[in-house]
Amino acid sequence: MKLIKQFFMISCKEATYLVSLKEEGKLSFSKYLKLELHLAICILCKRFEIQTGHFCKIAKQHPRKPEAKMSTEKKLAIKTLLEEA
Amino acid sequence: MENNYQLDPNKWIENYADALYGFCIVRVNNQSIAEDIVQETFLSAWKARETYNAVATEKNWLYAICKNKIIDHYRKKGATITTETEDSDNYFDNEEHWTKEKQPNEWGLNGQTQLEKKEFYQVLANCKQKLKELQQQVFVLKYLEDFDSDQICNLLGISSSNYWVLIHRAKLQLRNCLEKNWIKI
Repeated sequence: MKLIKQFFMISCKEATYLVSLKEEGKLSFSKYLKLELHLAICILCKRFEIQTGHFCKIAKQHPRKPEAKMSTEKKLAIKTLLEEA
Repeated sequence: MENNYQLDPNKWIENYADALYGFCIVRVNNQSIAEDIVQETFLSAWKARETYNAVATEKNWLYAICKNKIIDHYRKKGATITTETEDSDNYFDNEEHWTKEKQPNEWGLNGQTQLEKKEFYQVLANCKQKLKELQQQVFVLKYLEDFDSDQICNLLGISSSNYWVLIHRAKLQLRNCLEKNWIKI
């Protein structure tokens, strides 16, 4: 049992680290297996994978702050710069 | 194919200053840096106006220049920031298992729909701001700008193992911050 643990088990810390590598397809086959095995039995790390996957994906859908406004002074300054350029 | 796109520099500030600023602020999280990047964008665009070939719309052309300015900013910054050393902030215990305090809780269906809301992006922005600068940059480059890890390492001049540590820390921290501040369980 101890041997199995040594060969197949990874910690939660390592598993959550490997999740990002999996995303880019950068895992070796053996690491991939270890990760999948861990995710199959560890609900916390599985949650981590799903939740981070979800918010990372939607982070992109809102590419700018719609209400953001540049200060009037800066706009004037740029205007002057452009006129001089 | 002929395109009729034209530049109208007199209206740039009126038409694009706020939009470009909003685009930058999400990526650099700092008012004066964002404003300077927009300024540089307009100046470079003005200098390059002769080479505008009307393949892209004026708007897309300005955004492309702006994007490059942001990446330039990151590149310059990347070299000056000291890279991450592993700090202990108790996500995991000595055995590298989750600690009770910071383990992921179920977000449930409620969490899913919550994420769709507009206010979510404000919370995400606040959480992002709490990240260390370099963590923030790798997160933005990876998930907002769609670069892959090799490109980001190149851009920021960091090693790949350093990159994976940074993205790991960024995700741990963001997830925890979102859970605490947005997903009310």
